[in-house]
Amino acid sequence: MSKTLTYYRTYVIRALIIICMIATLASWYLVSPPIDALANELSIWNMNIVTFTLFVGVITILSRYVQGVKERADNWVFMLYAIVLIVVWIIFGTFTGIYADIYQTAFLSTKITLHISILGQLIFFMTSAAYRLFRIRTTRTLLYALCTATIVLCNSPLLLGPFPVVDKISFWLLNNPSMSGSRALMLTGGIGGAVLGIRILLGLEKGALRATEEL
Amino acid sequence: MLVYIVTCTIPIGASFEMSDITIEIYEFVDALPEGSVVFIGGSAVFAFDLESSAALIACLKHMARNKLRIVCAPFGVEAVQFHKYCIDAAGVMKNRGGDWEYGVDYVQLPYLPGGAAAYVALMENIHTAVATDVAGTPLNDLPLMQEVRNHEDIDAWICPHWAFDMIVRYVVAERDIPAIYFAQAAAYANYVPYMMAYPGKVWMTNGFLGGAQYEKLEGVPGLGCAVVDSYAVMSVVYVGFIILGNITMLQSRDEEEEIIQ
Amino acid sequence: MISTDPWVWISALMTICSFSLLYGENPLFRFGEYTYTAIVVAHSVVTGISTLNSRFAPLFSGAKPLLIIPLILGLMSLFVVWRRYAWIASFPIAIMIGVGTGLSMRALIATEILSNIAAVIRESGLILVGPPVSSLGYLIRVVFTITGVFYLLFTVAHKGPLNKPLSYLREIGKYAFLSYLGLSVGNAIMQHSGLATSAISRLLGQWLGL
Repeated sequence: MSKTLTYYRTYVIRALIIICMIATLASWYLVSPPIDALANELSIWNMNIVTFTLFVGVITILSRYVQGVKERADNWVFMLYAIVLIVVWIIFGTFTGIYADIYQTAFLSTKITLHISILGQLIFFMTSAAYRLFRIRTTRTLLYALCTATIVLCNSPLLLGPFPVVDKISFWLLNNPSMSGSRALMLTGGIGGAVLGIRILLGLEKGALRATEEL
Repeated sequence: MLVYIVTCTIPIGASFEMSDITIEIYEFVDALPEGSVVFIGGSAVFAFDLESSAALIACLKHMARNKLRIVCAPFGVEAVQFHKYCIDAAGVMKNRGGDWEYGVDYVQLPYLPGGAAAYVALMENIHTAVATDVAGTPLNDLPLMQEVRNHEDIDAWICPHWAFDMIVRYVVAERDIPAIYFAQAAAYANYVPYMMAYPGKVWMTNGFLGGAQYEKLEGVPGLGCAVVDSYAVMSVVYVGFIILGNITMLQSRDEEEEIIQ
Repeated sequence: MISTDPWVWISALMTICSFSLLYGENPLFRFGEYTYTAIVVAHSVVTGISTLNSRFAPLFSGAKPLLIIPLILGLMSLFVVWRRYAWIASFPIAIMIGVGTGLSMRALIATEILSNIAAVIRESGLILVGPPVSSLGYLIRVVFTITGVFYLLFTVAHKGPLNKPLSYLREIGKYAFLSYLGLSVGNAIMQHSGLATSAISRLLGQWLGL
């Protein structure tokens, strides 16, 4: 694309970002029916545009897997199986609808079961990591290990049953020292987010637009 | 693995204490007048949200008993399936032995894409933000949605999903709607500052334990109680591994000192 | 008694495929992995088709013809997967960035910054009020929050007379974060333990009937 067109495109995009940002900010802080209408319309348009991003994944995966099957890459048999399953599932889901009982049963029995099992088996890795990670050599590791062990035991009904005060201890720990660290993160994250927003407004950040730049 | 197999086949029946926050949430839901509209919604992944389903299923039974009305607003791709799972498991619909009728007591909205924009659009005007329910029925044809137009018609919001920060920003902070979060244990530590920042507007339960407490309050033992059973033993195993790791470290340190000498 | 429902058998197979990773990398796990990927992607498409019908219903019924613009912009956004034509997707992405950033900015300032500062000020007034345990709690909240913010904002050591007092504040902030991380990791054990319980109890209860 010629440099002039790229130049104009960059400024059109920047103008779009600024208009959308200012419209959404102004609709909250100012009382103006036209700005409210514009902001609401932009929110609806945003929702409609984002719907199409649901199809980006299937395009990417299918193109990669088709390439892999053609070149007989590693696990190409599994890639072929995945391609067939994607097509069958899309037809099945479109035909039955996502709120149908049969679709729900199929989804729960496959994807959800897999996901729960993958997340559940992390406990075995976490237990193994506990053996290696919580080695108390310094004050910091002592604090870290103590906090983890304390809250693990305080949440356990083995202690909660005979010693009801343990519930108050875990509540106190989670709502005081733990909460403070999270709050500090939230505060600084909020400051960072506001600064990032200003940088985007000033055109200093490209963010997701990097993916659309030409090589 | 052995711990899980044993506790899953032979339940211990471990007892646990009731938390003040869970009792507060229960009393808040109990105090909502008959016919109040409660939104259930948020965005995350089904497998993570399974932890919240323990409390949500008990809460759905509670709300059905108190004749409240529900609108499910999924902001995540798998949230539609999660809401259906919880509604079916609670058995509150007429076709599953309950009293709720679809369209009158309960409506399932379709997936609402767009993140923050979806929340804002929904709060501003539900009928502009989404035209039909999940099955394609126009919202104006549903009796419940004829009364629910925007944020002023929402009496409470329940979030059984991970992304609670969006709810706090666009529902609690901007629209002053009280919110209950059936938090996942890993998310509790992240989002508990909101409970401190908005006292009397935001409440949170803590993971499966919170779910078990709500199940106990409602008298419907389920996933929460089952998990608490196995966790009773697993917690001891986990701390045991921490202690074992430190014993191993001390022993290897002694051996290293001997070798050096 | 062992279940005869084919969906329960599929569910059991998926659980076994997933747990086989504990033994090591194997074809069974690969089968589960590719099944997961395929269904996630396909479910997104199914949801997308259903959502498109819902979102563009006013356009197709003629109630809101202006929705043709987001329809065109949405189709343009799909070009992001092709490197050569990715520039076409920059227009819809610009709208998404603009709207998303505007909404998050107004919310972040109110909820993340102002409400937390108000909470810290409110709690600092409660330090000397009430029983000793709550007073200690409020004191810890205020001190840990302020020192935690110091630790994050002044991560790099400064030269000059303020370096020493700032370094003490940073050190306390570091310990505040260590306690937060330790407590949140310990709390998260319950989540993963519960998910493992759910998976194994489904295998033993629903499939094998134990």
